Amino acid sequence: MALTQRQIVDNDRSKFDFKDELVYLHEAKRGLTRETVEEISALKGEPDWMLQFRLRAYAHFLKRPMPTWGGHLGDIDFDRIVYYRKPSEREERSWDDVPDKIKETFERLGIPEAERMFLAGVGAQYDSEVVYHSVKEELSKLGVVFMGTDQALKEYPQIFEEHFGTVIPPEDNKFAALNSAVWSGGSFVYVPPGVDVPLPLQAYFRINAESTGQFERTLIVVDKGAKVHYIEGCSAPIYAADSLHAAVVEVIALPGAKVRYTTIQNWSNDVYNLVTKRAHAHEDSTVEWIDANTGSRLTMKYPAIYLRGRGATADIISVAVAGKGQHQDTGAKAVHLAPDTKSRIVSKSVSKDGGRATYRGHLKVAPGATNVVASVRCDALMLDDQSRSDTYPYIDIQEDDTTMSHEATVGRISEDQVFYLMSRGLSENEAQNLIVQGFLEVFTKELPMEYAVEFNRLVKLEMEGALG
Amino acid sequence: MSDAPRIATAGGAGPAGRSGRLAEIAPSAPPARQARASSSLLLREGSQQAIERLSELQTEPDWLRAERREALQLAGDLPLEANPLFTSYVDLRAARFDEIDPYLETGDAAQMSDVLPEGAEGLLVVSDDRVVARALSPAAQSAGVVLDTLPNVLRERADLAAHVRALVEGSATLPQNDKFAQVARALSALGLVVHVPAGVRLEQPIVIRWAVGQPGRGLISRTLISLGEGAAASILEEQLPSVSPAAGAQSLWWGTSEVVLARGASLDFAAQQDFAQDTLAFVNRHATLGQEAQLRWALASVGGQLHKSRIDNQLVGRGSGVNQVEIGFGGGSQLFDLTSYTRHIGEDTSGDLLSKGVFLDRSRGYFKGLIDIERSARGTDSFLGEFAMLLTKKARSVTIPSLEIDQPDVRRASHSSSVGPIDETQVFYLMSRGLPRELARKFIVMGFLEPVVARIPLAEAQDRLRELLEQKWPADSTVATEPAA
Repeated sequence: MALTQRQIVDNDRSKFDFKDELVYLHEAKRGLTRETVEEISALKGEPDWMLQFRLRAYAHFLKRPMPTWGGHLGDIDFDRIVYYRKPSEREERSWDDVPDKIKETFERLGIPEAERMFLAGVGAQYDSEVVYHSVKEELSKLGVVFMGTDQALKEYPQIFEEHFGTVIPPEDNKFAALNSAVWSGGSFVYVPPGVDVPLPLQAYFRINAESTGQFERTLIVVDKGAKVHYIEGCSAPIYAADSLHAAVVEVIALPGAKVRYTTIQNWSNDVYNLVTKRAHAHEDSTVEWIDANTGSRLTMKYPAIYLRGRGATADIISVAVAGKGQHQDTGAKAVHLAPDTKSRIVSKSVSKDGGRATYRGHLKVAPGATNVVASVRCDALMLDDQSRSDTYPYIDIQEDDTTMSHEATVGRISEDQVFYLMSRGLSENEAQNLIVQGFLEVFTKELPMEYAVEFNRLVKLEMEGALG
Repeated sequence: MSDAPRIATAGGAGPAGRSGRLAEIAPSAPPARQARASSSLLLREGSQQAIERLSELQTEPDWLRAERREALQLAGDLPLEANPLFTSYVDLRAARFDEIDPYLETGDAAQMSDVLPEGAEGLLVVSDDRVVARALSPAAQSAGVVLDTLPNVLRERADLAAHVRALVEGSATLPQNDKFAQVARALSALGLVVHVPAGVRLEQPIVIRWAVGQPGRGLISRTLISLGEGAAASILEEQLPSVSPAAGAQSLWWGTSEVVLARGASLDFAAQQDFAQDTLAFVNRHATLGQEAQLRWALASVGGQLHKSRIDNQLVGRGSGVNQVEIGFGGGSQLFDLTSYTRHIGEDTSGDLLSKGVFLDRSRGYFKGLIDIERSARGTDSFLGEFAMLLTKKARSVTIPSLEIDQPDVRRASHSSSVGPIDETQVFYLMSRGLPRELARKFIVMGFLEPVVARIPLAEAQDRLRELLEQKWPADSTVATEPAA
């Protein structure tokens, strides 16, 4: 494989402050054409319906204007992006290409050697490979399907075709259209009726061999009365070769199902992370969305739960930390379409060093959705004068027996609290760090222990300014 | 019936059947989603003639004519909603602008009343296109208080003319990005001036009464209010029907309150809108507060088919504060579209904003709010609350209480919002004290709105507002009027 392209990554705005020009290897064609889409589909040997789906999405992508709200998207150059790399080509980058600052961060976070290679996209993580295989055996005994989305299209065509694209149609928005046209990779989960999956499914282990995609597509179908917890992402920064990540995640909770989706997003700071995530909650089901965003240059992500069946419950915890040069435009949506449904949204954001944290949420109670109880709580912490915090909640109620409450506050760390902690022997930085960790606890306490430890360590590093 | 030429006379410029009507200066009811695309509906040709005619009729100075031209340009270029946060919640479908022919010629009536009502410091009454009453207390008069039409002030008070020009020139007292405000600035047919000189503190309120409602007619106006250093005043604005409601064409009131408070000035401004149900009301209220200035708004809207208002509070001076309470009580297919912007610019400013809505039948409330704390605004204390009660299945409430914060050194920056039915435990409590169910419900709703009613400056006006609110309560479901002894 030859060195064909040289890319200069915009360094200045990166939290990691890397100074090197990055060089990486590939031979895939840049830019998006109808031929690229056809080629992706052909390479994957897909059925015709999927090709047609991709082409329909591509047509919409071309037609759809760029969003004019949210963050600044003007710098995205769709022609400079590589839309598909064959898995075998993915490990061509070498460890030497990974910026020192990223390596240093791995070091400080205490990430094992093998895992670092994986996170930097330069190697597979063999320890977890082993773990994944044992997990897989246990799951298959229960009839649980947990595999790559591409593979699932071949092996479970029926479930796949029945649900794929039903929660987020390609026409949903420009980036969902882009994803639908060129999607590759992602997780597929199917849990059969009544099965309670005893351990969290961690995408982290599954995708070890093929790296994570930029346009991954995740589809999670939890059948009647079944229960599962799916975890994606990790606290360590994920180093991306291209600057656009546009994933689509569809979750379907059939009647009585319970699904929890946990994700920690920590892309390196040159990445545009424009993601569409949505769940359908059917009768008496529960969908929980636990979402944290610490990385990327700009994230626009608003996990949504459509409460379609009577008695369904939605619970969303959304956390964002915006540091230097970052804009976290995140939030949550709960759309009540059926009676006796409940939703709770809790959002916590921290902005510092000139970062901008935006909460953008939508709570809707449609006609017919009687006896709804809903709450939205947004708290923002700003650590300095250079930072910015915005809150844009939309609350649209069309039933008279709805009970809705919303609260939002924005403030800085209380000097009294810092003073108190310092009087107990903590340094100012330690005191602030402790207060921020306490502020985010609503999120961390929902994480499995090892994730919580890692996440707190990450916040601590951010607070110390140790990440640049 | 009209002696005034129609606003647009350019032949063939408009679509058939619409020439010469307000449709040409205002958008004709596009679906909400197309809000941004509709600015092309503003046909400048006809309106240009209208503003020249308006300037001529009022023998306006050149600077005012230039203001109108600039505003018309802006109004033509602006989308219906310039803030992308709110574009999904603009709905003018109820407005039939093509039925409305706004007044061009206005002024003092041949017969003017100068009787001052009990408890008021001043009174100005506009009935459709004419000022029919104007009175000031002797004390106010000798203190130099001004309450008059803009043409009269420009003609008779050279000193104030310069003051007014300095205040309003270049859209300083209206938002540059608001199409509706710019339409008022371009096409105002009647300007009012209220001025309270420095140091003058008025004990009693100034009452401004607008009566409109002639089918097919509309009044576009501006009200310029300035208080000098340390001045204090209260203003009560009443908006009423001028004729008993008759089926037919819609009528229109389109106006402003442009408030400038100098250092240490204090203004209480109360308004109650009780137009007939086929009246459209478009309101812009814009206030600029100097150092330590205090402003209290108490605004109640009950009538009209569509009440669209935007309030801009500019807290420029250090230590200035605004307190705003606003209520809407809707029935039928009424829409209250209430937007408020509070910009904290100076240090140690405070904003306390509360909106409440009660909605019956198919009525709707859109509460759109934005608190903006700029980097310079250290020590801000800001609260925005938006609360609604939906009393029927088809009623709808939209609340968007937004915050944009560039300065974390705040005393408080928060908002809260709730939507809910009448609290059943409260109903039970009142019923246990002998009230019939419907009366208990009514009491709870009246209690929910009372904080705004209590802020109306005249006792008489307070009682009138309570009456208006009670009348809103559906007659067929109201049981005994008096609680059991």
